[in-house]
Amino acid sequence: MNAARVMAIFEKDLKEFTKNTTILFTPFITIILAIIYSRMETGDGLPLIVVYAIVGITYASVTSGVMMILMAEENEKKTLRGLIMSPASYVEILLGKSLVTALMTFITLIISFIIMESTNMIDIQQIIGLLVLFFFFLFLGIAVGLFVKSVGMTTVYLMPIMFIFGFTSMIEFLGFSPDSIVIKITDYMPIPQLVAMGETESWSAIGIVLIWTIVAGLLAFVCFQKVKKDRA
Amino acid sequence: MSNCIEITALQKTFGTKTAIADISLQIKEGEIFGLLGPSGAGKTTMIKMLTGELNKTAGDIRVLGSTPDKFHQTSFKSQIGLLSDNSVLYERLTVYDNLKLFAKLYNAPLNRIDEMLEMIDMLDAKKKVVSKLSKGMKQRILLAKALIHRPKLIFLDEPTSALDPGNVAQIHRVLQKLNEAGSTIFINTHNMEEATTLCDRVAFLHEGEIKECDTPENLRYQYSSHMFYVETFDGEIIQLPNESESADKIASLIKTGTVKAIQTDNPTLGDIFIKITGKELV
Ligand SMILES: Nc1ncnc2c1ncn2[C@@H]1O[C@H](COP(=O)(O)OP(=O)(O)OP(=O)(O)O)[C@@H](O)[C@H]1O
Ligand SMILES: [Mg+2]
Repeated sequence: MNAARVMAIFEKDLKEFTKNTTILFTPFITIILAIIYSRMETGDGLPLIVVYAIVGITYASVTSGVMMILMAEENEKKTLRGLIMSPASYVEILLGKSLVTALMTFITLIISFIIMESTNMIDIQQIIGLLVLFFFFLFLGIAVGLFVKSVGMTTVYLMPIMFIFGFTSMIEFLGFSPDSIVIKITDYMPIPQLVAMGETESWSAIGIVLIWTIVAGLLAFVCFQKVKKDRA
Repeated sequence: MSNCIEITALQKTFGTKTAIADISLQIKEGEIFGLLGPSGAGKTTMIKMLTGELNKTAGDIRVLGSTPDKFHQTSFKSQIGLLSDNSVLYERLTVYDNLKLFAKLYNAPLNRIDEMLEMIDMLDAKKKVVSKLSKGMKQRILLAKALIHRPKLIFLDEPTSALDPGNVAQIHRVLQKLNEAGSTIFINTHNMEEATTLCDRVAFLHEGEIKECDTPENLRYQYSSHMFYVETFDGEIIQLPNESESADKIASLIKTGTVKAIQTDNPTLGDIFIKITGKELV
């Protein structure tokens, strides 16, 4: 691992980012939604469930999405081969791209929180939750990014991630009864856990999200090993 | 001089298809070595095995003293330059940003970028976005990218295919200059002229085997018929072997004023290739 090479990839991807309309568009969707939601505010602040809707969209589209697209582009345009043949390792390439993804994610989130005046996120427990949740989505993005061969294909993977993990809290609004199996399952998913944490203030929510993150990390690791083996 | 590349009984198969049957070859330090062969001969496969992109099926490889298990190490990679057959640049970025990325990845000083651009005569294009460049310009930038860390050993996979003569000449000048400065060059090519003018030694690869390997001059001499062709003003062509008895005959023909021209056949590498393989080089 060499920090100079990670930074070289980071710098390159950041420059490409600003010239890539597909990617540049993703933070804007979130920010526009944040503006719309902020208009619906009635005086005592937006409820956590709405704030987490924005978090879910940001993490799915910016975190998982950008990570996938950055990798898919390198694969599709055959630039990945040039990187691999250079002294840069897979880990360095992934780290450089993760840094770009992290930067874009947190800029988007902070802008959205400011627009929505989400003071309920200024809370150490929520911030830790958000960080752990970031890695969950990042690992999903890396896992897909390692094998997806074209930018077009990323949507196929991004949509389920968006609906299952990004919009989990919204499922409640689909009219399921509170003791239906769907709600019981979704309650244990990362975003509903963090929404509930706002009331219970129980740290177990972060524990559950951490388990999800470890599982996503393992999935990314399996994909990583497979890609490395395929190359040999 | 020591060997830069040593290949012994090398084989490569893809499933049931044999790409490299059995190759042994030594390439000396400071040489420009040309691997010639028609499409599908296994040229790209050779470079991929020598640079660690593909694993060999059998045999031994040593490149700069390293065995393939070391090919992924930074110490090895920083001695190798590679311009592969489908190398690409980041189209959205400028020439400078592209070269900067690789200078940093190879830990080369950034002032090397201008130096390389000057060498390929493209300093003017430094701030240009790659997508706006012509194919020949892109290829020259790719060459600069492959050389930015001053590699000791350079692999080039058909570096001049489909380029106009101006770009080709430019690339050849750069390669010659690097070679004079001590770099060893391994070049895959279809282009017989390129092989003749550029390479110290060439090998003909056909169906995964090396059919001949020598200097272009030696090969051309070896494959010539060693005959003189004396053309008279009557349009007759008299063939005489390159032996002492022919001297008197030629002298007497010249004295009688019947000789229009005297020629030897000097086959091109292309002619030789057709002779060896029964195939045109395309
Ligand atoms: N990954 C692969 N899987 C299966 N077969 C392959 C693979 N790579 C190459 N081959 C086969 O190996 C043989 C040699 O291919 P190679 O690309 O080395 O030829 P080449 O001499 O570089 O040709 P060209 O001049 O067209 O570039 C071909 O028959 C090709 O089909
Ligand atoms: Mg080839």
